[in-house]
Amino acid sequence: MKKLLVVASVAALFPAVAMAQANNIGSCGWGSKVFDGQSGIAPQVLGATTNGTFGNQTFAITSGTSGCTQDGVVRSNWKTAMFIDGNKDKLARDMSVGGGEALDSLAHLLGVESADRAQFDRVARENLQRIFPSSSAKTDEIVAGLRQVLAADARLARYTAAL
Amino acid sequence: MRLLALLAGLLIFGQVGAADDAYLAELVARARELRLAERPEWLKLGHYVPDLAGPGVHSLVDSPGFFNAARGKDDPRAELEATLGAFFAPPRGKDEAQHPQCAFVARYAWLDGELAFDARRLPPQDCPRYREWRAALDAEHLTLVFASAYLNNPSSMYGHTLLRVDARDQDERTRLLAYAINFAADTDEKNGLVFAVKGLLGGYPGTYSVLPYYLKVREYGDLENRDLWEYELDLSPQEVERVLRHAWELLPAYFAYFFFDENCSYHLLGLLQVARPELQLTAPFRLWALPSDTVRELVRTPGLVRKVVYRPANSTIIERRIAGMPAEERRMARDLGIGSADAASAPLRALPAERAAAVLETAYDYLTYRRASGEHDVADPQALAQELLLERSRIDAPSQAPRIAPGVRPDQGHGTSRVSVGAGRRGGESFQELAYRPTYHDIVDDDSGYARGAQIEFFDVRVRRYEQAGTRLERFTPIDIFSIAPRDEFLHPKSWGVSAGWRRVPIRSGREPLAAALDAQVGGAWRLPGDALVYAMGQASARAHHDLEHGYALGAGPRLGALVDPLPGWRLHAYAQAVADFAGERDDPRTLGLQARWTLARDAALQLDLSRNREAGRTFGSALFSLHFYF
Repeated sequence: MKKLLVVASVAALFPAVAMAQANNIGSCGWGSKVFDGQSGIAPQVLGATTNGTFGNQTFAITSGTSGCTQDGVVRSNWKTAMFIDGNKDKLARDMSVGGGEALDSLAHLLGVESADRAQFDRVARENLQRIFPSSSAKTDEIVAGLRQVLAADARLARYTAAL
Repeated sequence: MRLLALLAGLLIFGQVGAADDAYLAELVARARELRLAERPEWLKLGHYVPDLAGPGVHSLVDSPGFFNAARGKDDPRAELEATLGAFFAPPRGKDEAQHPQCAFVARYAWLDGELAFDARRLPPQDCPRYREWRAALDAEHLTLVFASAYLNNPSSMYGHTLLRVDARDQDERTRLLAYAINFAADTDEKNGLVFAVKGLLGGYPGTYSVLPYYLKVREYGDLENRDLWEYELDLSPQEVERVLRHAWELLPAYFAYFFFDENCSYHLLGLLQVARPELQLTAPFRLWALPSDTVRELVRTPGLVRKVVYRPANSTIIERRIAGMPAEERRMARDLGIGSADAASAPLRALPAERAAAVLETAYDYLTYRRASGEHDVADPQALAQELLLERSRIDAPSQAPRIAPGVRPDQGHGTSRVSVGAGRRGGESFQELAYRPTYHDIVDDDSGYARGAQIEFFDVRVRRYEQAGTRLERFTPIDIFSIAPRDEFLHPKSWGVSAGWRRVPIRSGREPLAAALDAQVGGAWRLPGDALVYAMGQASARAHHDLEHGYALGAGPRLGALVDPLPGWRLHAYAQAVADFAGERDDPRTLGLQARWTLARDAALQLDLSRNREAGRTFGSALFSLHFYF
């Protein structure tokens, strides 16, 4: 009886704290919200009155786990791939000019030392086509392309370890 | 009575072994003695706010799991004591729900600080999940990010705020790698109307979430074209720690989401104010919380904001790029961006490397902007993007992106509420006017810190006292939005407006009843040399009152206007409109008007409104001179 009471009171005091919930990310990626911009007037008028965002429909990551994130933070072995996945357009743009914050962030994730940064930026620009074979390239293709390009460069080859 | 006490004891002490009962009782007694449950730290951790009526408090959190006591939502002391009891729970296995010491890691830290838990009698639990999360964030600073509204494409005209967790190994160049803590309505609702209505009534759960900042930059800066303002907070490591511990407690919790008061900005302050015991950031925002007002509150708090960084949106960058380009290069960039010229074309090749680079970069940004705006006229935008980028990558020149100096910050504009006193004459009769506009901005106001040409007014009310007609409500406008966005060869936004409310409408009997009125406009705006703006719109107008023929009037007509700032601090707005009614009451009201505003200080301005009206067969002039105070 006492045990039952204890169990009951524990259950009353600690209703399950959010359990793991599936995030439907499947293979690690952010899903694509890109380029589904709204046009027209009605959504803007309505949006104007709502004083907030339309929520995080696309990236519903609260507490819980998925294969790639844990409680909203990206598992360390997925960090680079998830970053590339979430920044494809920006990365392609930055690589085409050989600089920019997305490229800086990628270099940081790969651990590129400051002495090698100029080389990294230049190699990325000169090999854009190999890294981004098409602008609809999938994340794993981009990672593979980047790995090849870095491996082919004597100074940068060691950074493939982080990919 | 004794039975009740016994039951209560069982509830609090039930799960605790006999040896611990004594220590828990000791802790509870000390907590009562110190009146910990009344301390602001505890009330803030529980999100308790005073009841609207009565002396009590209640928590804004709506998820039962947030409370350890059955009455925890309304009883901070019961909650504190039940929380202490919960800390005695036996250790949890790896796959079980978190131990209360971990699920309520901020409460634990604070209570431990106040009561100095004896580790032998209340063994501290390891919290591996929290530990890993905390290590992954690697927080050094916190930054409040304000996403401003972008004209004509706002998810919200008032803006949005989120909290960014800046890691130790990041710098300004690698901030994309930070994490963001965001509060938003948790919904998949795509229908804006359903969303707006349910959101106003608290129909969605609002939740905090953690996600990479780059996803937010992409959403706001690239897709929605909203400039971001990043307010880095001057918090000690210990204060940062407090906020993150509490964020962890809040991740599984939910709040009923209300757009006007319990919204993203309010709840972000609710999280942030646990940093310091004396911070009471949410207190001024019980009725409504505009994101820009919450940012002001932070800036106003001494020693809270260290520095502000501006992150221009894609459309802002495009505007700046083309502003510095010769006409020929602009044309080239535009044609390339819409796919009507070839990236390998001769004119581009003829340009110096840096100019060609600038043209290609602009073309790519423009293509991206148009895709994000939902324009689908380019046959294969992805192939075109690839072609432009490859062409650009063949040029050995650094990025030609312009450096954009931040303008006036959103916290530095005029106050978001306004009262006005004025005097004038109308149809030969003098009057005095008192006006109040709770929010937010109109096109004649000084737009420093606001999106230019974006008028958004809610619940504007004007009362006048006439010499003969006496005191009357002149107009009451619950909603008035007017958005003027200039079109140019690159950007083609629509200009539009909608207003709904009650206003005085002259009728043929000579009376001026308060009629319900709904007006909507759509059209275009263009920039003239000297930074003047002209607009031309079609307008539909509906008025309803039982004294009107058939009780209503329905009409349409043109509305034209021009905005110009002749001198610093001055703005003129000239406008003309005519409506021809085609149903109900047949009238053709016309107005010709001029508004002149002179800014005296950030929060004070003088305004002159002159107009000539013809309505219900009468022609009359009107002049109003008013003094605005913003707060």
